[in-house]
Order: sequence, then structure tokens, then C-alpha cells
Amino acid sequence: MRPIGLLTAAALSFLTSVALAAEGKEGMPQLDFKNVLLKSQIVWLVIIFVVLYILLSRWALPKVGAVLEKRAATIAGDLDAARQAKGAADAAVAELTAKTREAHAGAQAEIAGAVDAAKAAAAAQTATLTARLDAQLAEAEGRINAARAAAMGALRQVASDTAGVVVSRLTGVAANAAAVDAAVGSALSARGLG
Amino acid sequence: MAAEAHAIDALGQFKLTTALGPIGASVNFTQSNLMMVISGLLILGLMVLGARPQAVVPGRLQALAEMAYEGIRKMCIEQIGEEGKAFFPFVFTLFMFVLIGNLLGLLPFSFTYTSHIAVTLTLALTVIVLVTIVALKIHGLHFFSYFFPPGAPVLLAPIIVPVEIISYLSRPVSLSIRLFANMVAGHVMFEVFASFILMMAASHALGSFGVVGAVGPMALNVALMGFELLVAFLQAYVFAILTCIYLHDAVHLH
Amino acid sequence: MDENKGGGGSFEDRLETARRKQGLLPAEGPKKSGPLDKSLGIGLRVGVELVSALVVAVAIGWWLDGWLHTRPFLLILFVLLGGAAGIANIWRLVKPKD
Repeated sequence: MRPIGLLTAAALSFLTSVALAAEGKEGMPQLDFKNVLLKSQIVWLVIIFVVLYILLSRWALPKVGAVLEKRAATIAGDLDAARQAKGAADAAVAELTAKTREAHAGAQAEIAGAVDAAKAAAAAQTATLTARLDAQLAEAEGRINAARAAAMGALRQVASDTAGVVVSRLTGVAANAAAVDAAVGSALSARGLG
Repeated sequence: MAAEAHAIDALGQFKLTTALGPIGASVNFTQSNLMMVISGLLILGLMVLGARPQAVVPGRLQALAEMAYEGIRKMCIEQIGEEGKAFFPFVFTLFMFVLIGNLLGLLPFSFTYTSHIAVTLTLALTVIVLVTIVALKIHGLHFFSYFFPPGAPVLLAPIIVPVEIISYLSRPVSLSIRLFANMVAGHVMFEVFASFILMMAASHALGSFGVVGAVGPMALNVALMGFELLVAFLQAYVFAILTCIYLHDAVHLH
Repeated sequence: MDENKGGGGSFEDRLETARRKQGLLPAEGPKKSGPLDKSLGIGLRVGVELVSALVVAVAIGWWLDGWLHTRPFLLILFVLLGGAAGIANIWRLVKPKD
């Protein structure tokens, strides 16, 4: 689009300048290099441009640059603060979680300890009780055995005496004590009592 | 005939006259130079007033000043590299001087100094002299290898070297012709269409139809104004970015 | 707890985006320049590049001819060189950057 517009304009200006030249007028004032004003314009251009460059580079541009730098620093600082605050918040949350977990674990351990201690105490109590009962049982058994042995001994004596008396009455002869005793012994052992 | 010649005097607007009365006349200070001073003051005013509030959230003027500053700075660094920071004030001055000159020229009763080939050529020569000095300062005599690319057959040197020299010298010419031609074309079209408006409106033959017919070129001129605003910006941008590209070549060679 | 984490994630993203925008972090991916911008620029430049190379060549040729009294041979030679320089200018404009 631009080249077409440019061409049209160039053609137009060319035609105009040709028309003007045909009429004896001057062409483009920009190409009238004999004009003193054209040269003085350049001298002034150089002066103005140099002054503008110095004023901009030494005075105006550093001002804008300083403002921009300050803003960049402020924003960077703010963002940094936000990032640090976020980090701190994250750390606090993590700490809280850890503390909760720790407390939880502590409580659990305490409960388990208490239960274990109670269990141990109960077991110890049971053990002593059992031991005492066992001892009593053993003592009782001992007594029963002694009584039984005594009873057995007495039974043999009674049986021998009775057998001696029975034999002497039946036969009229005094019984042989040793034979009676042996017979009683074998009889007893035959019944499982000797 | 006289009326016709008057109607299409599209080039009279580029004629130089002295400004500021007898004082200006005594030092040949032209109206073109007056516009340069005005645009210089506008640029300085924009940057200084724009920087004054120092607000973190900028107002309109400050935003404009900062946009110009950051935009050109970014262009310098992107096109030239880190060394571009050193040339930023120069490119900024050049861009703003051309841009404001182009824009001011669009106002009625003003003068477009960028429509003078002498002005654009002076600016372009400044660029090329700077570029050459920078290249010589950084690379010394090695700079002249620029005119003979490495790897080219030595037999072709008699052709390549003059071609490269012409190509190098054509830079300021193309830089200045582009800006000059664009600004002249726009202003000539303005003048021609405006002349049509007046011719149609004043025509005895067309009568009251002429006034209605004048709406056509009038609408064209309004559309053209929008287009010329774009061109004013685009040409300033092209001038600045080509300066950056040439500076890049000077700093890095090839 | 979960909700808190999700909110923190989006805040983190926003914070990172803001930091990236301020240039405090490296930008993501390379920036691409608009193709329209480039083609418009080239369209504007081609004609001017050719003409200005010719203008310079003609000026040099004319000046050398006047100096060496060889008019018009050097002028013709330099017009040819100027055309070549103009084409070289345009080639430099459109050649793909490596």
C-alpha cells in the first residue's frame, strides 16, 4: 500500500514540479542549493541537535532512568518481600504440622507405656499369687502324703497284728510274726497299697 | 492560468523563510530551525516533566516518557547488544527529533523540517560518521576488511571492493532519501487534495454541487491524516532501527 | 490443609509471573519478532536501497571522470557497480539470518 501511495505522490510532485518549471518557476525548494537559507538551516540544525543531545544525555534521560530504576528496585523489593513472607508462612505451616505430629506421637507413646506398665504389674501380681498358691498346694500335698504314709504304716501294723491274732486263734499256735508280716506285705502290694 | 498555478502549488510549503523577525533574519534563522527548537523543547519537556512525579504507578505523561525511554533502550540493546547502552542517548535524540519533527509537520501552519533532504542527509551523515568512527576505534585498520568479505575469491576483489564501498556509502543516502521522500509525499498529497477541496468548492461551473463534491477530497485528507500519523512514527522508527543496525555492524563487523 | 496448599500454588505462580515480568527471573522461551513488521520494513527499503546505491555510484563516477578527464567511461562503469551494490544491499536485506 505504501509504495503505491509513494509512487502516486512522487508522480504528482514530479508533474507539479514539471508544470511549475514549464512556467518558469523554481522546482522543489529542498533542492535549491543556492539558497543561503538552506545552508544556514543546516548550521542551525547542527547547533540545535548537539545542544539537544547534550541536554538529553546529561540531564533529562538520567532523570527518567533514575525513576525507572527506583521503580524496578521497589517492585523487586516488594516481590522479594512477598516471596520471603511466603517462605516464612510455609515454614510456619511445616513447623506446626511437625509439632502436631510430634505431640501426637508423644501421647501415643505415653499411652502405650502406661498400658505396658499396668500389664507388667498385673503379670507380676499374678506370678506371686500363683507362686504362693503353688507353695500352699505343695505343702498340702506333702501333708496328705505324710498322713497317707502314716495311715499306711498303721494299716500294716493293724493288719499284721490282726492276722497274727486270727492265726493264733484258728490254729492255737502262736503265729510266726515274720511270715505274717511278709504275707500282709504281699497282700497289700497285690492291692496296690504296699 | 494564474488561478491554476496557484491551485497546485504543492511545493510552496517547503520554501524556507526566516523566522523570529529581524533578529532571526540577521542570523538566517529559518522557520525550519524554529520548528527544531520547538520540537527540542517538547522532547526535553516530556522527559523532564515526565520524570518529575517519580511515581511508582505512573500518570499519562510519565508513562509516555517512560515508554519512549524503555522502548528505545530496549531497541538499542536488542539490535546492538550490551554495547548498545552507550549509544542509547544518541539514538534516543535522533528518534525523538525525527518523530516530533514528523508529527509537528502534520499540524496546520507548521513546517516539516524532515521534508528537507539537506536536513535528513545531515542527520544520516552524522550517523554514518559516528558509525565509522566507532568501527575504527574498536577494530582499528581491521575495519577495512569490512569491504572485502572473508572467503571471497581474491580475483573478484576489483569488483567486490568498489561494490562494498558504494554499498557502505549508500547507507546515509538511503537513510535520508527514505525519510525525505516519505515526508514530502505525504505533504504533497495533503496539499493536492486540499487544493481540490478549494477548487471544487469555489468552482463557478459546478456551483453548489462543487461544495458537495468537495467532501470527497476532504474525506481523503482525513484518511490521509491517519495514515501520515502512522508514517510519521514508522519513519522515525526505521531511521532509529537502521542506525542501531549500522552501529551493530560497526561494533561487531559483519 | 489441602485447600491451603492449592491456594499457595496459585499464589506461587502469580508471584513467579510477576518476578519474571520484572526481569528478576529469566524469560520463558525465545521471543519471536512479528513477520508483518519484517516484510513491511523490507517492502519499504528495497526501492530506496537500489536508488541510493545508484546515486552514490553516479556521484563517484561523475567526480572521478571530472578529475581524470575520462568522461563518460568511469560513469558507465560506476553505474554498473552501483547496480551491483544496490542488489547487494537488497540481498543483505532479505537473506535469512543464520
